[in-house]
Amino acid sequence: MPVVQVKLPDIGEGIAEGEIVRWLVKEGDTVKRFQPIVEVLTAKATVEIPSPYTGKIRKLLASEGDTVRVGQPIAEIETDTAGPVKEEKEERPEEPRKEEASGQPRPQLEATPIETQAGQAGIARVKAPPSVRILARKLGVDLSKVKGTGPRGVITKDDVLAYAEAQKREPQPPVQVAKEAEVEEERIPLRGVKKVMAERMVEAKTRIPHAYVVEEVDITELLSVRERLKPLAEEKGVKLTILPFIMKAAVKAIREYPLINSSLDEDKGEIIVKRTVNLGFAVDTPHGLMVPVIKNANTKGLFQLAREVRELARKAREAKLSLDEVRGSTFSISNYGSIGGVLGIPVINPPEAAILGVGRIRKEPRIRDGKIEERSLVYLTLSFDHRILEGGYATRFLVRVKELLENPILLLAGEGELE
Amino acid sequence: MEVLGSRDILNLDRALGLYRVIDEDGNPVAGEPSLPDKLLLDMYTYMIRARILDGWLLKLQRMGRVALHAPNKGQEASAVGATLALKREDWLFPSYRELGALLVRGMTEEEILDRALTTIDDPLKGSDFAIYGHRKYNIVPAPVPVANQIPHAVGAALAAKIMGDKIVTMTFFGDGSTSRGDFHAGLNFAGVFKAPVVFVNQNNQWAISVPLKRQTAAPTIAVKGIAYGVPGIRVDGNDVIAVYTVAREAVERARSGEGPTLIEAVTYRLGPHTTADDPTRYRGEEEVKEWERREPLRRMRRYLISRGLLTEEEDKALWSEWEKRIEETVVKVLEKPPLPPEVILEDVYEEPPWNLKEQMKELRESIRLLKELGIELE
Repeated sequence: MPVVQVKLPDIGEGIAEGEIVRWLVKEGDTVKRFQPIVEVLTAKATVEIPSPYTGKIRKLLASEGDTVRVGQPIAEIETDTAGPVKEEKEERPEEPRKEEASGQPRPQLEATPIETQAGQAGIARVKAPPSVRILARKLGVDLSKVKGTGPRGVITKDDVLAYAEAQKREPQPPVQVAKEAEVEEERIPLRGVKKVMAERMVEAKTRIPHAYVVEEVDITELLSVRERLKPLAEEKGVKLTILPFIMKAAVKAIREYPLINSSLDEDKGEIIVKRTVNLGFAVDTPHGLMVPVIKNANTKGLFQLAREVRELARKAREAKLSLDEVRGSTFSISNYGSIGGVLGIPVINPPEAAILGVGRIRKEPRIRDGKIEERSLVYLTLSFDHRILEGGYATRFLVRVKELLENPILLLAGEGELE
Repeated sequence: MEVLGSRDILNLDRALGLYRVIDEDGNPVAGEPSLPDKLLLDMYTYMIRARILDGWLLKLQRMGRVALHAPNKGQEASAVGATLALKREDWLFPSYRELGALLVRGMTEEEILDRALTTIDDPLKGSDFAIYGHRKYNIVPAPVPVANQIPHAVGAALAAKIMGDKIVTMTFFGDGSTSRGDFHAGLNFAGVFKAPVVFVNQNNQWAISVPLKRQTAAPTIAVKGIAYGVPGIRVDGNDVIAVYTVAREAVERARSGEGPTLIEAVTYRLGPHTTADDPTRYRGEEEVKEWERREPLRRMRRYLISRGLLTEEEDKALWSEWEKRIEETVVKVLEKPPLPPEVILEDVYEEPPWNLKEQMKELRESIRLLKELGIELE
């Protein structure tokens, strides 16, 4: 019984691929020609694909959830004799061809017989344009042994060159070749948090024209303020890191530069300025990058921010964040410096307008009032959407953040700022 | 049966009402229609054939054998009923959703499939942007862009009038088409010059995803005719007898020199707009269910059985006979060879200019070379 492949048909109007939603048959099932066998989701709709043949399903070549391209084999059917193979014989009483000594029936477009009852090997026909044939002759390549990668199995120049190249290497002992040529590798499926990250980063980097500005901030005084605040914080059960200060500074500067806290509605061509600052901050967790969100950060005092950072970071590490705690951010901070990088350039968290990167705190000599002093320094990077923000505006914002951090009095002055 | 009633063109009742002969369950609304039994059975048979063929075209599209299909399911009565009112010498200017009309004109399933599969026997030789048409049956190829056929039908009708031919043209178009300029120009011109044309609007409630309420602020489509001095009549498009009755009246009016008529056949597209459409994205299941109850075949079958023209057994036999015949036709057509590639250069000039001749030569040479290499052309 001949076995034929069922290929994903060209189901029209620019459809190039589809996702297998559901198989309506299983291996071993008998199917009738025109009987629906699979549901496929295309860019336009979910459609039922009928079988082009009557026979027995020998193998399903694609699983539910797989994306297959038009023309890709999706199943193998053992057809009965009255199948399309008969048609071909009638249709093509053609002139015999040299390469085709066996006189096998010509394959139809969508039917590639891959074996026959007699167990004959596949198709002997060689498909190659003259230029490729000449090349093959020059290189001494036997075209019948080359696998064509062109349309409908046509052998291309590259196929011949690749085959010739492989032939050159062949004389070496095959085991050794395999060892040398083989690269040890492992395949990790992109899923879950990592998949989300991958998709969002592609979106950010392909849609948003990023521009960057970097400032060096002297936080020596801020660190001493933190030391002085520590007992008070501990009293309130808060562990005070440097991140809440930077958050405070960013939120305060946003009051003066509200466009930093905005997003672009591309369809309407409008910038949406957000009155609330929902602050996302990147957390490196064992299962991937998470960005929990402090809601209404513009209304919260330093201690409250510190509390929430701690709580959300813990939840992130334990994978216990609720959906509500990871969405709706309007501006984000990446504190990669807590791990170690001196200067990093973060990618915007779409659809936000900017992201602030905080580098590692370094102790370095700086000249102050004509004297060399040991100072604590940190690089702040602002990556911003250059469709929304001008370089000047973004820089002025970053300079303001710097001023606030270098003058902690400005940062913490005001009702409720410490709460 | 004077459906159009008085000669008063501006009869609003006809344009706002809904003319019906049998109700949704197949019961006569006001007495038995006085039509020959054979005609009533023919109406039903044509609808069955259209329904079965429609299913095949959808299936063949899903197999990659037909490029595109606009499903007819639910609209068989309007196409069949209206076209049955025409005479052989009349001309049809269809849209792309009137398989029943093609069958009534005499086109066979095989000829329709030849076109859909662009086999060697395709009467339109594979030309794109024309759905169905056949010179033999006075069917002008349907254009893909909507409403284009309206002015064509008006022009042809006017030409016939000028030449003194006693023929009528009939054109089909959807509710979406009534928003096109072609609809305005066509109806206006036809009204002014009393062109012998019948406009059949298949108001199937949806122009792809645009509902009727977004198409017009007018209470009905039929009422639009009045402003052009064209009588408008609204009919239940799922009642094949009612459609036939008003169409016959309109055809007679046109033939006797009284000018055009606009028929609004109120129907419903039960399937997707085309094979590239997913209606679940824009309309609810409830609505579809409601219209499934009113679909034309079920209704006509009930009527024929209650009138004693058909038994349940005869009905089953009728269906299986056509299912078998059409499947055999499908299998036959699938085995036909495709059109030769040369046809792409035909039918433009009577005597092709040098550049086309040169192209033809190159094409033949390429085909010969490809054949030699064993590469098949799609």
